[in-house]
Amino acid sequence: MPLVIFVDDSETALASTRMVTNAMPIEVKQYTEAQTALAEIKAGMKPDLIITDLNMPVMNGLEFLQALRAVPSTSRTPTLMLTTETKAELKQQGKALGLTGWIVKPFNPAQLKQAITRVLRLPA
Amino acid sequence: MMLILNSVDSLLEHIKDVQHNVIEFSSDSLLKMSDYIEKNNLEVDDNLLSALQYQDIITQQLNATNDTIDSMRSNLNIFIHAYEQDENIVKDSMIKLQDKLNITLQEAKDKQNRFSGKTAQNDEQNEEIEFF
Repeated sequence: MPLVIFVDDSETALASTRMVTNAMPIEVKQYTEAQTALAEIKAGMKPDLIITDLNMPVMNGLEFLQALRAVPSTSRTPTLMLTTETKAELKQQGKALGLTGWIVKPFNPAQLKQAITRVLRLPA
Repeated sequence: MMLILNSVDSLLEHIKDVQHNVIEFSSDSLLKMSDYIEKNNLEVDDNLLSALQYQDIITQQLNATNDTIDSMRSNLNIFIHAYEQDENIVKDSMIKLQDKLNITLQEAKDKQNRFSGKTAQNDEQNEEIEFF
């Protein structure tokens, strides 16, 4: 099964995404800190899709994305930003770093499922 | 004037404490609810799932307000310190304080808008997932 990792410092946000993805044919790992996820990726974890929050302490979503692009195994891994942020300038920064898409919280559960299905090319 | 400013500082500190508690209570409450839902394999519809996510927005909004309070208190304390050093520079310090508080207010309003997510105020412009 494809591996999808979620990174969000909000445990309630992670719980919401679990409720959406628990019936999907994917393996899910969740992290409350981007730096922990990055360490595991550098240690060999190979996610097929990364979904990250933007505003997080220590390492924010854009910094995380930049770091991911510097790791050979995730230099092209599809990555979605899932955030309350709506600033166009930040979206542009993400796009420049090869971000796949931007989802504004609170997300529509059906749309999040569709986005994961589309990016991973899962059977609809 | 110093007494008033010190009272304002204490009030700001109190508001920050209350907001911190609200963040913790709302997070704890939502986690207990989501634990219950997950443990009992309850089905949640899209509306409930969207509602559960508002806690994250509440937290970010209150954290942004707390950052504003920190900034205000820092500026107030700089002013208080300057006033204590030399009462003659109070007019100049007042002008600087006013400028800094105006900047703080503007930054706070910007964060309020940015961290609102897909709420009633900007539902239409953020309705769809944006793929690049």
